[in-house]
Amino acid sequence: MRTKFSGILTLFLALFVQILFAQQQTVSGTVTDETGMPLPGATVSIKGTTTGKTTDFDGNYSIQVNNGQTLVFSYVGYTPQEIKVSSTTINVQLKQGEALEAVTVVAYGGAVNSAKVASSIATVDGETIEQVPINSLDQVLQGAAAGVNVNTGSGQPGQSATIIIRGRGSLQGDIEPLFVIDGVPVDQDNFRSLNQNDIETLSVLKDAAATAIYGNRGAGGVVIVTTKKGKKGSGVNLQYRTLYGVAVKPKTRFEVMNASQLLTWQRDLLPGTQFGDGLSDARIAAIAAQTNTNWSDVFFQQGTTVSHELSISTGNENTSSYTSMQYYKQEGITLGSDLTRFSFRNNFNGSSADKKFNYGTTLTLNRSVSNFIVDAVRGNNTGGQLDNPFIVPYIGLPYLNRFNPDGSLNTFGTIRSQAIDTNGDIDNPNGFLNTPFLALNTARFNTDQETEFKAVGGINADYNFAKNLTVGGSIGIDYTNIELLQITTPGSIRGLITPNQGAEVKGSQGETFFRDANFILNAFLRYQNDITDKLNLSASVYGEYNYSNTQQAGYTAFGLNPALPGSSAGFTSGNTQEGEDTNEDGILDAETELALNYVPGVFSTETELALASLFATLDLDYDGKYGFSGTIRRDQTSRFPKNSTGVFWSVAGRWNIDNEDFMSNVDFINALKLRASYGVVGNQGVGTRYQGLQTVFADPTSYQLGTGYGLNGLIDEDIKWETTNQLNIGLSFGLWNNRLSGEFDYYNFLTEDLFSNNAPLSLAQTGYGTVTTNIGSMRNSGVDLQIAFDVLRKSQTNPWAITVRGNANYNKNRIEELPVDFTGVTLRNAEGRQAATWFDVRWAGVDPSNGQPLYYDVDGNITNVYTPNNRVYLDKNFDPTYTGGFGADISYKGFALNALFSFAADRWRRNGSLAIIEDASLAGFANQSVTMLNAWTTPGQITDIPRLTFQGRAEIGDRYIEDASFLRLRNVTLSYTVDSKILEKTNVFSGMRIYVQGTNLVTWTKWRGFDPEGNQSGGFFDYPIPRTFSLGFDLNF
Amino acid sequence: MKKYFLIPIIVTLLFTVSCDDQLERFPVDNLVEETAFQSVSDLENGLRGAINSINRGGGQASLLAFNSIFTDNCKVGADNGGQQIALINQVLNEAGGDQGTWADRYNAINNFNRLLAAASTIIPQTGEEDAYDNILAQSYAFRAYLHFDLLTYYAPDLMDPSSLGVYYQNVVATSGLPARQTVGENLIEIENDLTLAASLIPSSATDINYVTPDFITFLRARIALYTGDFNTAISNANTIIANYTLADQAQYAAMFAGDGDSTEVIFKFDNVQGNNASIAFNWIFTGTGGAFMEMSNGLFSEFTAGDIRRSVNLDPESDPGAATPLLIIGKYPPNADTNYINDYKAMRLSEMYLIRAEAHARKAAPDYAAAAADVSAVRSARFGSPQTIAAYNSLNQAITDIKAERRVELCYEGFRYIDIKRYRNILNEGIERASADCETVPCSLPVSSEKFTFPIPQAEINANPNMVQNPGY
Repeated sequence: MRTKFSGILTLFLALFVQILFAQQQTVSGTVTDETGMPLPGATVSIKGTTTGKTTDFDGNYSIQVNNGQTLVFSYVGYTPQEIKVSSTTINVQLKQGEALEAVTVVAYGGAVNSAKVASSIATVDGETIEQVPINSLDQVLQGAAAGVNVNTGSGQPGQSATIIIRGRGSLQGDIEPLFVIDGVPVDQDNFRSLNQNDIETLSVLKDAAATAIYGNRGAGGVVIVTTKKGKKGSGVNLQYRTLYGVAVKPKTRFEVMNASQLLTWQRDLLPGTQFGDGLSDARIAAIAAQTNTNWSDVFFQQGTTVSHELSISTGNENTSSYTSMQYYKQEGITLGSDLTRFSFRNNFNGSSADKKFNYGTTLTLNRSVSNFIVDAVRGNNTGGQLDNPFIVPYIGLPYLNRFNPDGSLNTFGTIRSQAIDTNGDIDNPNGFLNTPFLALNTARFNTDQETEFKAVGGINADYNFAKNLTVGGSIGIDYTNIELLQITTPGSIRGLITPNQGAEVKGSQGETFFRDANFILNAFLRYQNDITDKLNLSASVYGEYNYSNTQQAGYTAFGLNPALPGSSAGFTSGNTQEGEDTNEDGILDAETELALNYVPGVFSTETELALASLFATLDLDYDGKYGFSGTIRRDQTSRFPKNSTGVFWSVAGRWNIDNEDFMSNVDFINALKLRASYGVVGNQGVGTRYQGLQTVFADPTSYQLGTGYGLNGLIDEDIKWETTNQLNIGLSFGLWNNRLSGEFDYYNFLTEDLFSNNAPLSLAQTGYGTVTTNIGSMRNSGVDLQIAFDVLRKSQTNPWAITVRGNANYNKNRIEELPVDFTGVTLRNAEGRQAATWFDVRWAGVDPSNGQPLYYDVDGNITNVYTPNNRVYLDKNFDPTYTGGFGADISYKGFALNALFSFAADRWRRNGSLAIIEDASLAGFANQSVTMLNAWTTPGQITDIPRLTFQGRAEIGDRYIEDASFLRLRNVTLSYTVDSKILEKTNVFSGMRIYVQGTNLVTWTKWRGFDPEGNQSGGFFDYPIPRTFSLGFDLNF
Repeated sequence: MKKYFLIPIIVTLLFTVSCDDQLERFPVDNLVEETAFQSVSDLENGLRGAINSINRGGGQASLLAFNSIFTDNCKVGADNGGQQIALINQVLNEAGGDQGTWADRYNAINNFNRLLAAASTIIPQTGEEDAYDNILAQSYAFRAYLHFDLLTYYAPDLMDPSSLGVYYQNVVATSGLPARQTVGENLIEIENDLTLAASLIPSSATDINYVTPDFITFLRARIALYTGDFNTAISNANTIIANYTLADQAQYAAMFAGDGDSTEVIFKFDNVQGNNASIAFNWIFTGTGGAFMEMSNGLFSEFTAGDIRRSVNLDPESDPGAATPLLIIGKYPPNADTNYINDYKAMRLSEMYLIRAEAHARKAAPDYAAAAADVSAVRSARFGSPQTIAAYNSLNQAITDIKAERRVELCYEGFRYIDIKRYRNILNEGIERASADCETVPCSLPVSSEKFTFPIPQAEINANPNMVQNPGY
């Protein structure tokens, strides 16, 4: 069944049948579709009452009704019909609804008719993200909706992305949207355990009219996730789906030297002392012939993805349910990086026989196990860790042999890599030269694993207890429990220096237990009335309480007995002393400080956050032509004790021009709606949960290991939420029978009381250079465009259907006011400029006469002197100016081809990885780019690589600030759906679909690395996002 | 109808009423400042926290590194992957060039000020008076010590009381834009704090890991020398020298091997495993012992045979005979924990001899013989046998010798840059590196360079329009 709803109560087909007297009678009949097939589960209700029935499996109904009353026949996806009762048998044929009359999921309101929405909301159909082997529901939004900029920092399976909706709205505060799954606000940075196939729709709320109802959490936008529900009266449907995929490394956009190149270059050109020095050509040839390792081959693997899913949806007259179970395993493109998950969901909905009381529960229980590598975004990593597998393809020396003499893979190192000395003793395996082996060793022998249990659930109910009045409430919880296990094995290379080099027993084991619970409690009263035939009013008041509690506890123990892995029985006692025993009397020398190498680390912490709110909404509709919506919310937060209360609001209006009488003759316009909204939304996500309290830390191991108290950084007790004033003007249209449809929005958002941790203080006076508080303002303005065009539509005569669609956003960010003028060093936030603007010395190439690097000074003159004083604003920004996506859906008979491209343009990042392999000072122990072969050697030589005596990586200015724009074939699927007539004969299957899919297949970019994407301003040996090929089956029973 | 309306109204009312309690959330893991200090024992916690703040992060280590690397005591090490390259290239700018000293010192001072403010609200119980007075004395003395550190690095000319000093922070404030005071004004405040400290400190305060009466005397001698009050320097030095003896060779070696001896230590920061990081990490890759920065060939050539300082300062892993000599800095050795955690001996007796020597040479009526005798006393202790006493004929000669002795005696202890700065106008000599040490880095820094005074950090200048930048920046 199509998941798109359509057609609810929009068209009124009044039948003018004269009724003379009212009298209760039983009316029965059959509801069918256009082809005459019965529609089970269609709703038959009496207009103006809450009485209703649903049709049975054969489409039959019967209902008690007064003569002269009007029956409304409705069914999802079909245009409702109203028929005044004039006989005891009424058979109805419903017609399929029209595309633009889709519904939109709004905050606290569920699905409403899109035509009546005055705010800016982008809807992403669950179908478009189903079975895409990218396992984080925020990541899959890339390219799917206008104004939604998605960047991922790592190719780790399940990695959460950074989402920015309509531009960076805050400098220091939370910039990501609030995520609400079935009414429960959830952690915005952890979706790895959730099964995205359960998603029915994603609604991206983009303006104040949509988000002000979320008060001080709405400024970054809101993503409302609605999961699948069973359809009442649909019977039992069973679906099995499976997917098998292979992930491979992305295209490499740099080239490093091979063994022969590097050794010859070291010998002939590179100053200083290296391995290549003094080797004869014959010797180099011999070494290169024996060993020429391409370390990319060693570190990239084919990662497989396997998914099995079973879902059951049921529905009878008054209840429906949706249940799914999924097993999912995804391996990364390097050893030791994977995700294994089991997820379960059950959504249940029911209503009383008179439909006045409705209730529902949603519950998802998930367990996932993730293994991590030492990648650039894990923990406090920077990417520069030598055991980061993605540093090796850059700097791994090609003349190091990856194999042991017996042909097995060497995981410790060689004499040449200085892991062992010529006597076979351990030398310096943790050194630079040994990087490839160190990375292999850590991936193979050490453990960094998270086991997560995540439950998101809720219960909701509403009761239409009087005419026009409904009372309701809901309770929800997002609960996450993560157990982190980190083991540094005694025998591993890192184990040699854990707890430290001198310790006799090596290795460490740490476990951390992280519990995060978010509760939400909500109650509401709604008044709904058709005041006149044309004027509809709906108003609601809500009370809500949110509470978050996060606890963490853990330990790290040192000195592991290798015979007892994973058990505290193998931990060395923390009391164990070590030191020197020069006279060998068995008593350690007391005159030097003895070492306590095995003292375990322990910790336990807890934080809380509470939010109490009252809010109200008002919606007015006049004749489907004009609408007004207003929301107001009063939030009280525990985060800012001195400024706990904030009021946020919005107003919005719409004009459905297409419903005007003067438009009735304009045939080619099917829908035309003008929208405008203005409102104030807040952001409280800054700093810690106690940002408004001056706290003092107690450190139990302070001076001389006594307890020490100290100020926890200076805070501003008067800090309060940021507010964003949001204006949105939009036009929705559908032309030529909705063949061309789309939305165009202009927005202008002004964030005031901007959070900054850089409110300047005099260090001399206060002891602190900065404090986090509200200073400045920032504007994001731009346009969103979303458009779809049906080139061909399927019909009786035409088996082809072609739809092309696209979305784009142009965003202009400007810091309007920042009293400190700027913050940051080379990536700056400066008044009058875009946030995250690069500021650096401009590189001017290499002086052909002497090979010196040249720069531009502030005035644009060329100079050979590097000084930070020559830094200038480069008009290059980390955040993209243009983002979007486009694609096509093409189908022919049972075949369908769906493609989605995503892009981000005018986006600049610093390529730190490339800077490392073009730095001669590191060339003794780090392989170099082949471009270094062109280093300047002779006067008059034109090259962009300076003379190799130039060794200043600190003096490169903007040389490696690169265009990280990209266009990517995000996903392409070719599927074949088996004709249902054939399947009918099997008596087993009711649907069968087979497909092949490619994800991130091609990326066009100027970035000279693996992956331009990244969510950090600097790329430094990032874990690239893989290319994935997959094959899947869907079977319906 | 009314009864139905009541239900949600009551529900919402319950929400809002109960929520006021629900919204008062206090941290579990931290104290709130208003209630953190209730007793003398809390103040002792505050004192430990404040002392620790002097030494956390870059802390002392960053100044040890600066004095060694910026000058002529280091060369680029064999295992350098870019570490401290800006420093050895003598990059000293307003953006972080001061190694965070301005921020670290003023922040630590602020901690002592907050401690004093908290103490003012507490009345000690009977029997706690000494402990209470000691906390006050420690706070005043460290406040003076830290301000003198600032003065040493940020004042262009310590010898001129009317020249630019720093701001003396002796109140707790969360706003304000102070201007620089003069050196003379700062010195008065420093002496006031030292006088207060001396009057409060109980006789029981003899722990060399904290302020003692000798700490105060020592600091007064050092301040007097740097500011040109040579007779005060001599009299304070006499007091200290009378109370201690110089370490012999074995004691000297033990002092720098796991802090095994403290014969001549007047004050040290007690760095321990479990709290402090290595103070050698700017030279030594403490995970593996590789050298980011090595001892310069120039300094190495200053150590002659028989001098215990040669074996103390040069790690046994070194290979001075190699074509490219490997000279690993050994003053702060790995020790049993191999974490290179060693105490920072901030006040040693030998410095006091050299202070007295310099004061004798520079005072109004120079006593070169006394100066030479003090230098010789240090040398004799280090060589384990009486060394000849030089005969100085001029200030230049005396200072040249004292400077050389201070270099070998106090290398890697945070003096070299300040020494070169102090002597540069007497000897007309800036930083001069040996040619073997400066193949890829600058070989000298001229006497006239502005880099002999730290720039006030740009952050302070930006935040505080009343703050005057040092000349040349």
